Amino acid sequence: MPTILGELAGVESKSSRYLSLHVSTKIFLPLSFAVAIFFATDPIKALLLAAASAGACVAAGVPLSAIKRYLAVIVSMSSFIVLAFSLFTHIPGKTLFEVTLLSMQAEKGVFEWKLSLTDTGLTYALTFILRIFAMILSATLLMATVTDRDFVWGLLSLKVPFGACVATSLFFRGLQLFASDFYTIREAMMARGVDFERTSLAKRFLLYVNALIPLLSLMITRSYEVSLALESRGIAPGSRAASGYYTFRMRRDDYAVIAVSVTLIIVYVLWGRIP
Amino acid sequence: MSRAVSVEGLWWKYVGRSDHALRGVDLEVERGEFFAIMGHSGAGKTTLILVLTGIIPQRVPGEFRGRVEVLGMSTVSQDVSEITKRVAVVFEDPEIQFVMSTVEDELVLSLEPLGLSREEIRERLKWGLELVGLDKSFLGRSPLQLSGGEKQRVAIAAAVARRPELLILDEPTSDLDPVGKEEVLAAIRKLRDELDMTIILIEHESEFVAELADRVAVLSEGRVAAVGEPRYVFSRYDELKSHGVYPPDAAAISFKLGLDTICRYGDLFRALESVRDRLFVHADRIPNVEKVGEGEVLVECRDVEYVYPGGFRALKGASLTIRGGELVALVGPNGGGKTTLAKVVSGLFRPSMGEVLVLGRRVEEYDRLTLSSLVCYVYQNPDHQIFNKSVYEEISFGLRIRGLSERVVRERVRRALEVFGLKGLENEHPFFLSKGEKRRLALASAYVLDPKVLIVDEPTTGQDMRFNESLFSNLKALTREGRAVVTITHSIALASKYADRLVVVKDGRVIADGHPRSVLLSPAADEGRLIKPQAMRLAKQLGLTAAPVSAEEFLEIVTLR
Repeated sequence: MPTILGELAGVESKSSRYLSLHVSTKIFLPLSFAVAIFFATDPIKALLLAAASAGACVAAGVPLSAIKRYLAVIVSMSSFIVLAFSLFTHIPGKTLFEVTLLSMQAEKGVFEWKLSLTDTGLTYALTFILRIFAMILSATLLMATVTDRDFVWGLLSLKVPFGACVATSLFFRGLQLFASDFYTIREAMMARGVDFERTSLAKRFLLYVNALIPLLSLMITRSYEVSLALESRGIAPGSRAASGYYTFRMRRDDYAVIAVSVTLIIVYVLWGRIP
Repeated sequence: MSRAVSVEGLWWKYVGRSDHALRGVDLEVERGEFFAIMGHSGAGKTTLILVLTGIIPQRVPGEFRGRVEVLGMSTVSQDVSEITKRVAVVFEDPEIQFVMSTVEDELVLSLEPLGLSREEIRERLKWGLELVGLDKSFLGRSPLQLSGGEKQRVAIAAAVARRPELLILDEPTSDLDPVGKEEVLAAIRKLRDELDMTIILIEHESEFVAELADRVAVLSEGRVAAVGEPRYVFSRYDELKSHGVYPPDAAAISFKLGLDTICRYGDLFRALESVRDRLFVHADRIPNVEKVGEGEVLVECRDVEYVYPGGFRALKGASLTIRGGELVALVGPNGGGKTTLAKVVSGLFRPSMGEVLVLGRRVEEYDRLTLSSLVCYVYQNPDHQIFNKSVYEEISFGLRIRGLSERVVRERVRRALEVFGLKGLENEHPFFLSKGEKRRLALASAYVLDPKVLIVDEPTTGQDMRFNESLFSNLKALTREGRAVVTITHSIALASKYADRLVVVKDGRVIADGHPRSVLLSPAADEGRLIKPQAMRLAKQLGLTAAPVSAEEFLEIVTLR
């Protein structure tokens, strides 16, 4: 059964030990990284958190080479962050480099737009970049180790109402159908002569807006048909799972991982607060 | 026998509709009976099913009148959740019914509301799968990765595992290829023979109904037009056709030969055997081998291979020539490469190896606009193709992006509206058209571009025979204008009757290509697992030298003295 990232990008965990953990554990560990990110306010904390996330990915058997796919996004995002802290705002601190880009004499003085690089600005930028790294890694860890089935049966084992669990499963199914319908509609437009590659951005946008019409029509039809099929199986929003066919038990590994996750959150919350 | 279903004076109108979907339906089904319901598309068959499960009127808003009792429960006062504990439904499209990500979860989902123990659920999973000819190895598989026949059998297993007293099957074979159909029919036969269960089957294919059903009802325009044993109902030959129901070849042949109406193939064979000395055969009236392919070559595929991004090799050296004035039917099992080949022909997919020539030039040399004016592809589901706000805008879209003058656009749209019977619907929003009208609109939107080759992907799925016959005669008429029409279809009967060539695609290769009669007589027909028309099987079994592809042809060569 492919994980969510496995289905989307063909990347998934290879560690059967990690994959056999309770779904709550597999959700809780990346969640603890996400919570710790809020408290990673300097480069050291952020770097350690990014390293810990990377370590968790390695331990879970998630190939870090998958990150290569997002390298362009990460590099461009990092550049924007550095620019944001140097070009569009002046962060007080020791100036390392400064150049005036625009200087205008106004009624009430001189307006200047500068590219200003300060040590504090650089620290902020570095912290932000590392936090984004940690976020990408923890999201990868979650998506490469959890299947949509895990989510649904995990929710069931947590006694979430049956209707909500079925709705979650339907959401994942809906995503797959939406993506496949979108590509078919795009292809059907091409079959009538639309050349997306040679069309201007504005026209392309309008064509995609047009594609929303059949997508919407299909979504309505499918929702209606799915709801009829579910009703005919006796499943309604208020239905209850009465059998307990799936029961998940926490094991020693789960408790160990959860203990690490809780410790991580506590350390980051308290780090620097206790004198 | 006590009654499983009792319907009296049933009227139903959906909210926002001006006409009633059901108009005074009276129907009774006995317990343990195998009851079939037939009728044209839009006759009210699926609506009737929703009534039998209580979803109408309890969940769907509208006007309800009449009395409906299922297994002694009133479908108006008994809650749907209670009714569905004893009644199970399998719908036409198995994919729509799948909610969960594995076969096991899908089956468990059906059983959850019953409050069974874990052991009981395990036992029922195994039993349900075995009953439809699947084993435990399917439990961990994703339902979406199964073949069409397997998907529908999983849907049936999920329904049967609940051990319902009434099982309703809504066109369970309409989306399937011949292999899938056979698999599902075998499962249904097993259910009929081994379980003490009332079964209601909605089906367009009269051959299956004749074989399986104890009784059959024909719905037309929301009314019961005929009800009784298949033998009786199918004897009303011409009347049935007016209701969009085409009796099986066996019934047509026995009726026209002046025998008592016989609707099962085996019975007809025995009857003809018994009067063999009175049979007069004019075998020379139809040739056994016919010539094909004399028009101008429009498309040529040479040793084409196509590999999908995931690495799946869908075409493995397929070669095909399409000539002007031909109706070519691509047939063969699902997953064999028919759609991929058609998309390669239309230039939507670029071949990984080999070459595709359109009017003598490689497809790569054309820009999209020019190529789509020469070869146009019509999708199986018209909802994927229609995106404009009115029928007129939809048809004219392709012309507008080509920058044609308003006068030319108007003229061409007018012609397309006429050819596909859409006149008067110009200002209608496509969303509100019927399924058949949407399909015609999708065809008109392609036809208006005046392509040399029109490719139509499975246009008959889920439609009644009357619509399908009219559609195929429409497609045939287009070939008389000199263009080629390529259609992907599972209906061998229609393909044999209308197509000039039958092309069998299997495992990414063209394994047979020729006149329908010669292809059906070749070993490739068995290799492609094509279901031959009853008339052809009958002629062969009777030892006739001619090979008729339809009841009409059979009656042309055989007379009873």
